[in-house]
Amino acid sequence: MDKQVIVTIGREFGSAGHEIGEELAKRLGVKFYDRTIVEEMSKAMNLDEKELEKYDEKIRTPFFSRTVRGYSNSPADIVFELQSKFIREKADAGESFVLIGRCGEEIFKESNNHVSIFVRGDKEEKIARVMGKYNLDRDEAFDKMTRHDRQRKEYHNSRCSGKWGDSRTYDLCINSSPVGVEPTINILVQYIYSRIEKFDA
Amino acid sequence: MTVAAISSIVVFLVMFGLVITEKFEKHYVTLTCAGVMLIVVFGAIMRDGNAIADTLNFYSLVNPNFWIGETPDSSGIDWATIIFLGGMMIMVEGLSIAGFFRWLCMTLAKAVKYKKMPLFITFMIVATILSMFIDSITVILFLAAVTVELAKLLDFNPVPMILSEIFCANLGGSATMCGDPPNIIIGSKLHYSFMDFVMNTGMIAGICLIVIIFYFYLVYRKEFNKPGKEIDIENMPHPTAAITSKFLFTGNTVIFACAIAMLVTHANTHLSVAFIGATVALATCILNCKHLKEIFSKVDYKILLFFIGLFVVVGGLEKTGILAAIASFISRVSGGNVKTMIAIVIWVSAVASAFVDNIPFAATMVPIVKGLSVGNPALQATLAWTLSIGTDIGGAATPIGASANVVGTAVAGRNGYPIGWGKYCKTAVPATIIVVVMSMLIIYLRYC
Repeated sequence: MDKQVIVTIGREFGSAGHEIGEELAKRLGVKFYDRTIVEEMSKAMNLDEKELEKYDEKIRTPFFSRTVRGYSNSPADIVFELQSKFIREKADAGESFVLIGRCGEEIFKESNNHVSIFVRGDKEEKIARVMGKYNLDRDEAFDKMTRHDRQRKEYHNSRCSGKWGDSRTYDLCINSSPVGVEPTINILVQYIYSRIEKFDA
Repeated sequence: MTVAAISSIVVFLVMFGLVITEKFEKHYVTLTCAGVMLIVVFGAIMRDGNAIADTLNFYSLVNPNFWIGETPDSSGIDWATIIFLGGMMIMVEGLSIAGFFRWLCMTLAKAVKYKKMPLFITFMIVATILSMFIDSITVILFLAAVTVELAKLLDFNPVPMILSEIFCANLGGSATMCGDPPNIIIGSKLHYSFMDFVMNTGMIAGICLIVIIFYFYLVYRKEFNKPGKEIDIENMPHPTAAITSKFLFTGNTVIFACAIAMLVTHANTHLSVAFIGATVALATCILNCKHLKEIFSKVDYKILLFFIGLFVVVGGLEKTGILAAIASFISRVSGGNVKTMIAIVIWVSAVASAFVDNIPFAATMVPIVKGLSVGNPALQATLAWTLSIGTDIGGAATPIGASANVVGTAVAGRNGYPIGWGKYCKTAVPATIIVVVMSMLIIYLRYC
């Protein structure tokens, strides 16, 4: 790809957002980052991956951390800062990629070659997907979905200026359920290429 | 209980709660609560103009004894503490600009030939000594940053060293009057000198330091006895490279030495801490006149505003008789037994300071100590040292107990070594218990 493109994807649990992001990266011929960003960061900085992974996409626990002279000692804040810096450095080096979660749309909100997407889904379809993927019954799947979505929302809203899932936060919000995963990917690829055409060379 | 007393408790609790939650910057919280205390409690409820004037305490600034002589008794805003803290912050920024702290750390690392175990012990001692004179936040900011740099060069995990430096910085802070903000408040409000602290809390901290170095050695010896990389001393950063200007380095170091000399002798010279703070600030500003913008942009004025608001709110509790009531309650619970009082003050201070900011706690406890020891200066001194050790050391137990802990763990995290509660408390809690128990026993043996 001639022009650099950074695609950030927010997603509801069970909406196939992760799968969609992975396929988008393949079709665009760019790198795909999800929790692998922690692995890559650990290798690059010679750090303990397990230690960093514990705090990946976690929120600051109230009352258990403090900020002094701009220094926060919340491990969740620190891992978020490290991760954001690492991803930003990749973008600054000219790399194109698809990034899942991690407040990507906030990190790159000033970037001109950035496309932010939010993938949602219909409740029943999401439950069915979670049941199949994790081998759970309906209630368990619903509980898991609700818990993950609440955590994602809290994580996002505590670190970003826009609200999680709010259409004003993203360039494009899409429901993957009515048309299915594959057509959703096709729509997104088309949209991203249209956006890339408008990017400055 | 009067409406004024209840209102002052409500204002205090709201302030405390908001400070802990960090929803708003804490200086806004204390200043707003101070405004409420002055306008609503003193003005609207008590209709007492004198209480407002006493708490604002502006008249102390024009009293010649405030600068040179016996510091006058006062309640409310302790301007001597504010001026001293501000002055020391300016002096520390001057030292930073000249590269003093990095030079010191690198010189010591070179002196021990970059060997891990000697470095580990040396940095604990440096953290203790520097924190006796400089705020522990600055000490840890520099030490932790240099530790991470050396850890990368020498291939070791910097976390054990940073954790032990943090603990020793808290311990060093307890040794002198200017080591930790609670001590400045205790010393200034109860009229103790720098040397009074050195001879009492300093002695306790010195004994505890020996035990704590041994404790951290036992805990982390495997970590630092591991064979590391071959060290090429020639390729290590040269200490003098840290010095930005020889003139500023020499000048700022002389000012620092003068500040220590003035503090050590202030009981004899009768120079107040306010005078010392103002003098070192003025000298630093004159010497570093080309860097004034940089210096003042880095001075933590928010903590000074936080203090001003805090003093007013605590002054409200004092004026409405709440603190006297708490003192009388402690006296009743202890049955007037000094040993029980010491145990209550040291353990309550230590446990409270481990979880909440120790500055408001100490500011609240000072009038209580005064109330517990009316007409008994020996008891007042004993309780003052007990309070100082309890608040300063208790703060070392958790990652949020003291500002140095927050900054140290944050610096480690920013360099890729996040430190959670488990990792922090695993070594800090036993160390804190050891020091508090030892201090309590020393206080019993020496003063009871």
